[in-house]
Amino acid sequence: MAASAVTWAGLASIGRACGHIRSRLLGSSSTLSQVSCLHTSPELNCKHWERKNLTVYPPQNKDEPRRPAEIHHCRRQIKYSKDKMWYLAKLLRGMTIDQALTQLEFNDKKGAKIIKEVILEAQDMAVKNHNVEYKSNLYIAESFSGKGKYLKHIRYHGRGMCGIMDKVHCHYFVKLVEGVPPIVEQKTGFDQAKEYVEQLRNRTIIHSL
Amino acid sequence: MATSICRTLKYFQPITCQNIKCAASLLDVRLVPVLVPIRTKKRFFIPPAVNVKDKTQAEQEVKARAAGMVVRQQYTERPINISCTAGIFDPYVPPEGDARLSTLSKEGLKQRTEQLRQSAASQLSIRKIKDHDPDFSSKAFPELAQQIFVDAHAALTQFNKEKLHSLVTERCYPEMVRGNRYKTLRWGFIESLEPPRVVHTRCPDMISKGNLYGQVTVRMHSRQTLAVYDRFGRLMMGDEDEPRDVLEYLVLERHLVNPYGCWRLHGKIVPAWAPPKDPVVKTVMIPGPMLKPGDEFETLNYQVPKPKAVQWYK
Repeated sequence: MAASAVTWAGLASIGRACGHIRSRLLGSSSTLSQVSCLHTSPELNCKHWERKNLTVYPPQNKDEPRRPAEIHHCRRQIKYSKDKMWYLAKLLRGMTIDQALTQLEFNDKKGAKIIKEVILEAQDMAVKNHNVEYKSNLYIAESFSGKGKYLKHIRYHGRGMCGIMDKVHCHYFVKLVEGVPPIVEQKTGFDQAKEYVEQLRNRTIIHSL
Repeated sequence: MATSICRTLKYFQPITCQNIKCAASLLDVRLVPVLVPIRTKKRFFIPPAVNVKDKTQAEQEVKARAAGMVVRQQYTERPINISCTAGIFDPYVPPEGDARLSTLSKEGLKQRTEQLRQSAASQLSIRKIKDHDPDFSSKAFPELAQQIFVDAHAALTQFNKEKLHSLVTERCYPEMVRGNRYKTLRWGFIESLEPPRVVHTRCPDMISKGNLYGQVTVRMHSRQTLAVYDRFGRLMMGDEDEPRDVLEYLVLERHLVNPYGCWRLHGKIVPAWAPPKDPVVKTVMIPGPMLKPGDEFETLNYQVPKPKAVQWYK
């Protein structure tokens, strides 16, 4: 009887163990993607965003630099447009978490309130579950929105014509990384023009005198 | 776009049949319901109801029940484990200063003689255990107990669930495993400083008389290393290269009445006088007191509440 009581739990735990093994393999492949800087589009990232929190890295040696903690969080089926959400997601990319929260608090959009809740949840998760020491020491590495499942209604036009009205929903994904945000070099137009002119000057003319 | 089809039951209408031969079969068919497809739109996503008059769950339930919706009887069942007990019965209270005094001093000798004379209840329960398990001997058991301990912790580091379940009872398993799912543990048993010995036994019977479980407490003094790494491979606690002397009181249990039962680790007793553990490698925020509008935290002289020194069981 004790054995039968354990079976379902055992099956579920075996399933989780398979996920555990798979996530260990996923962990190694994700380091590869960091090294080769693969570009993964949002459609490929969306489905398994929650699973990215389950990767386990092997213990580091004492001489290696400390690996920064990464926390993935998302919210699904938000009643908002993905295009309108994109503006907020683009605003927050690369900001520290405190800066992001202040910007969202004073932003008038509907999505700002929702994103603020998501980021606060992620910060809480980071401190409690993912061994992050200081809750302000996080920055937003990735933030993007994706299309959710739409409901369809009929929109009545004049002259007996009709169209399909989509009730739009979106997903919002955020990845918090521990540490100071990387400084992105701001390139002015003048720098880009200078580079272009240098490229032109470095050309060699072959088969000439 | 293909629309999905719902199927409903529909009885055949009585059809004027030209073929009299199959009249009998038709009659039979009329009694049997046949599935006929009816076209509806497949809903992938049903949105939550907005602007509903009765917002509370109770009011909605009342309305649904009045309309005729019947909710199936809900069985609130919890799985019960009969292969192990839920705790440590009549626990052993380790004497203060155990393993601090050397055996050669006067106080040490006194302690040793007290310990050697085990209490009557322990002797009685050893006799009861020997009735059910003739192979049990209080001389050979501690070695077995230490072996079970080492194997269980090795299985924990590798997270070999099946082996762990066979070495550790169901009560002890969640306490060993909780929070360790996404962490890496590195544990090493270096050597045993003193030979382990049985200090305490009890034979509680659960629910019905005769349903005996044997609980044996073994005292173990050994040298071990432990290092806990978090999800990202960073050291959370401990040190892999620094061995520590550990004095532990292990409780092993066996369902004596079950002929296929085996001795498994049931828990640990942490005495009240145990030294405090090392702090974790990170800074932790402790929630402070609620401040009134005029107060300042520095002037309050807030003392962080220290936990009481009580014996507890792992």
